[in-house]
Amino acid sequence: MTAVRARDWPKVDRSLLVLVGVLAALVLANGVIDQGFLSAAQLRNTLLVTVPLALIAGGQTLCMLTGGIDLSVAMTATAAAYVTGVRAADGTALAILEGLAVGLVIGLVNGVAIAVFRVNALIMTLGMSAILTGLLTVGSQTFLKGATRMPEFVRELGGGTIVGPIPWNLLVWLLLGGLLIFGLRRTGLGRLIYAIGGNRRAARLAGVRVASVEVAVYVACALLAAVAGILIGGRGGSVDLQLAGSYLLPSVAAAVIGGTSILGGSGGYTGTILGALILSVLDTMLNVLNVDEAVKQVLYGTIVLVLAWVYIRTSRARTGDR
Amino acid sequence: MQATTMAATGSMARRQAWTGATLLAFLLLVAVKAQSGGFDSFEIQTMVTSTLALGYLTLAQGVIVIGGGIDLSVGAQMVLFNCLSARLMEGRSFGTCLLIAAGATLAGALLGALTGLVIARSGVPDIIVTLATGFVWSGLALFVLPTPGGGTALEFQTLVLGSGTEFWPPLVGLAVPGLIIWYVLRRTSAGLGIYALGSDRQAAFLAGVPALRAQVTAYAIGGLLCALGGLAATAFTGGGDPRATAGMTATLTSVAAVVLGGIALTGGVGGLLGPVVAVWSLYLIPAIMLARGVDPAYGEAVKGVVIVLVVLIGGLLRRNGRKT
Amino acid sequence: MGETREALRTRAVAKRYGPVVALRSVDLSVRPGEIHALLGANGAGKSTLVKILTGVLAPDSGEIEVGGRPVAFRSPADARRHGVTPVFQDPALLPDLTVAENLRLTGTGAADVLERLREMDLTPPDFRTPAGELPLPLLRMLDLARALAHRPALLVLDEITAALPSDYAERVFAVMRRTREAGGSVLFITHRLLEVQEVCDRATVLRDGRDVDTHVVAEGGEDRIVAAMLGDKAVGAVPAAGSTAARPTGEKLLEVTDLGDGGRLKDVSFALHAGEVLGVVALEGQGQDELFELLAGDRRAASGEVAVRGRRLAGRHPREAVRHGVALVPSDRQEALLPMRSVRENLALPLSGRRWGPIRLNEERRKVGAVIERLEIDTRAQDEVRRLSGGNQQKVAIGRWLVGGFDVLLCFDLTRGIDVGTKHQIYALLRSIAEDGRGVLMFTSELREVPMVCDRALVMYGGRVAGELPAAEADEGMLLNAAHGLTRAEEVG
Repeated sequence: MTAVRARDWPKVDRSLLVLVGVLAALVLANGVIDQGFLSAAQLRNTLLVTVPLALIAGGQTLCMLTGGIDLSVAMTATAAAYVTGVRAADGTALAILEGLAVGLVIGLVNGVAIAVFRVNALIMTLGMSAILTGLLTVGSQTFLKGATRMPEFVRELGGGTIVGPIPWNLLVWLLLGGLLIFGLRRTGLGRLIYAIGGNRRAARLAGVRVASVEVAVYVACALLAAVAGILIGGRGGSVDLQLAGSYLLPSVAAAVIGGTSILGGSGGYTGTILGALILSVLDTMLNVLNVDEAVKQVLYGTIVLVLAWVYIRTSRARTGDR
Repeated sequence: MQATTMAATGSMARRQAWTGATLLAFLLLVAVKAQSGGFDSFEIQTMVTSTLALGYLTLAQGVIVIGGGIDLSVGAQMVLFNCLSARLMEGRSFGTCLLIAAGATLAGALLGALTGLVIARSGVPDIIVTLATGFVWSGLALFVLPTPGGGTALEFQTLVLGSGTEFWPPLVGLAVPGLIIWYVLRRTSAGLGIYALGSDRQAAFLAGVPALRAQVTAYAIGGLLCALGGLAATAFTGGGDPRATAGMTATLTSVAAVVLGGIALTGGVGGLLGPVVAVWSLYLIPAIMLARGVDPAYGEAVKGVVIVLVVLIGGLLRRNGRKT
Repeated sequence: MGETREALRTRAVAKRYGPVVALRSVDLSVRPGEIHALLGANGAGKSTLVKILTGVLAPDSGEIEVGGRPVAFRSPADARRHGVTPVFQDPALLPDLTVAENLRLTGTGAADVLERLREMDLTPPDFRTPAGELPLPLLRMLDLARALAHRPALLVLDEITAALPSDYAERVFAVMRRTREAGGSVLFITHRLLEVQEVCDRATVLRDGRDVDTHVVAEGGEDRIVAAMLGDKAVGAVPAAGSTAARPTGEKLLEVTDLGDGGRLKDVSFALHAGEVLGVVALEGQGQDELFELLAGDRRAASGEVAVRGRRLAGRHPREAVRHGVALVPSDRQEALLPMRSVRENLALPLSGRRWGPIRLNEERRKVGAVIERLEIDTRAQDEVRRLSGGNQQKVAIGRWLVGGFDVLLCFDLTRGIDVGTKHQIYALLRSIAEDGRGVLMFTSELREVPMVCDRALVMYGGRVAGELPAAEADEGMLLNAAHGLTRAEEVG
């Protein structure tokens, strides 16, 4: 019996290194194809689209770690942004708070229905998405009528530049992303998220209030989506109902590529960040190549599938499972 | 052990009650609709034709979910076959159109089988695989038909949709494949294998069900039905539309309708009638609201609330059933 | 022996699950026209062997011959084609399909099954009924009839009688005898030694993954079987603690009064004192599972009450029990561990459950480190608990509560399927917990643990406490007989 000390940090996952490799290859390829890609302006643009995706995918990662999924993130983001835009007259701070409150309420409803009333997460969030679509469609003509012009501060935050290639929204993401990584690794709640995703029954028997953890997760996910929505709205300046629709599937894809299991219990935010970066660099590359939208989608789908497949292969090889 | 058997017993009775309740809810909606805006053969025809494509997709999703899987690409497959057939059928004769339709159906089954094979062989969860293939199919649709367009023969439209206020052709068009698949599912050992797989993978294995074959069959049937959905869309709109959003909405509705129609998302339980009736019910809700002078935009929200509430109440009933 | 073609023959069949060895090496032969019993204590490897013989699992090494020809089954269907047809412990009919559909699924003729049911003197049910709506005993008989309809050369019956009333069991025996007369063979797995005496020709006993004895039943008798199952392992390491301990004198930690779950468990009362290890002994399904679930707060009681140090538990959630210092270590490690997480996270789970905020790393490192050292947990594969050996996994499951703190430890068949060395470490640990002034309530299916570890033992029968005795007086052989439902169950009480 030699070292009986438990390690503070798990070993770096080999599969993550594969992802870093894929990302590096994509960036290099991009740099070769397009001399301008490594310029400050292009990098800024890439980061600008990555940040909201990384935020939404972060929430998605939390849900997936518990064995759930949130298909209402796109509509949550849109709704939060819409409310912030319409309420801009209330003053910037209040408008943002109102947008975040929308996220909070959506998250609570999702979380309580899923955790307490045991509605299937897929169905619940699907239904929530439909509800929000309907409410916003009607609301835009009635109780939320008015111009959606994002406050100046939000526009700067969502699309402005600090210096060189660094957009302001990166700052928001550094803050929240750092919080997520820390939260998942170094807090009791983070451990419990993994615990209920890995073995719900064991967590319960160990005295964990599984439902509370789940509610917290769906609230956090909706809040992250709300922040992302406000940032996306800020980038464009105004908000329409299709604002964040295109982020839904990539948010799941980024988490999956990053090695978070849709069955729960394993994965993490670091992988998701890499997944989000890979997806947006890939997107930029296909745009630069001026590839047909058709080919773009085919490639996109194929790459997501192949990466997920490779990930499962490598993690199986590591643990010796068949 | 005793408890599991009793729970299973309850679930069987409850499922039948569930289908009954779905039918009842539908009839109620029809009655309300009849009262507030009329429900004549024209209305029926509108209902059946405008939900025909969705009906096929729901059947597809139903078969796959019964087999213990899920397919988030059914809408994209529909869009693909819509675009493919609209492009090929444009300006062709009725006979050629029929040949194209037959070819598309076959191709749909092959695509579905391929999806099933990838899921079974890769070990990647079905949600992820079909999410990814969804991108691929909608990309291919754009490739085939970059902008909305294409066309089909008028006779083909009449064949699928009926003429005037005739509502029998689309109803038959939905019922015949539905009944054939129902027969395959409940009367052949290959079909029963799909139920067995969804019901209890381990027990199915012990009973000697070839899991790979059952899974591939389920997805192949699904693909075939998605192709039919695409053809129905072509007939309904007289052309093709490659935009992916319509496909995604259709996918989500198919999942909701399957659940409302009494198929358990965990697999192995449920029939095909309930989901189709659920599709019609979901169509009637906004129609009634419109007739009653309510902003139909609320329809989406009400649909969402209905879906969530029905699933929630179903879950609560199941929980109470287990306690007693 | 060499001339007759065995219906079934295995040579050196072995199987391991990751680091856990389930079968070391088993040689088994079943002759044509023979009813052969396969016996062994829990964890001896019976179920793994049955799975291998019926094509559910593939062996790691070793050979299997059926009718003299080597075979390698790819699936249960493949095994069936070779004439080996099993009836498993759990009903294999799919509850959502009707009986007729179930038969179609396996390509079994309905007429054939009807015929077999009539042979068994049973009224056949309506085949249009969903299987899930039929009573359990009838389902088992349908399973058997379906197996017979395939005209197997070797019928494998895995504890089929465990859930059957005696008149049904008699019919199963009749079927077995008819099969033998027709020249077929039966491999019969059971826990009930009486049944072995009644119908079996020969018996093979497994222990720790090996075949330790094969003999003609009429010549051996139950004593020989019991001896083979127990083995002659030295019982060193831990002194027979129970014999030295006096009657419990500490305060009442856990007091159970008239506890019932509205089902199997009825009016159970007992008390667990500080400084005591209290054993629970019972046959399978005598209410011990329910008792432990209730005590752990996993279910609400229908009647009676549970009090910890005089405070009543409502049984709303395991959290309540944990807060009052009652912790459960389940028998199934799948119910205890987070398989993909590290040793450290698994051990620290109770701490995380208590505080959502930042982890106090120093405190955690200290507590976890101390427990790893105390239990000598092998940390070489610490990044994922599923890669640890069974014994180390069980240590993690117990160690969690040493990290989290507790007054009463509920241990449910803790040592099932783990190696002797680890078992003894666990015994010593339980004793030291008791010496700290805490209490342990342990159910065990391995009866010799009772005199080794416990101070007192409760015998449960039919959902009630049928008796109580000082562990020192609990003779292992007597407990074993009682646990196998042979005789003298009342004398124990």
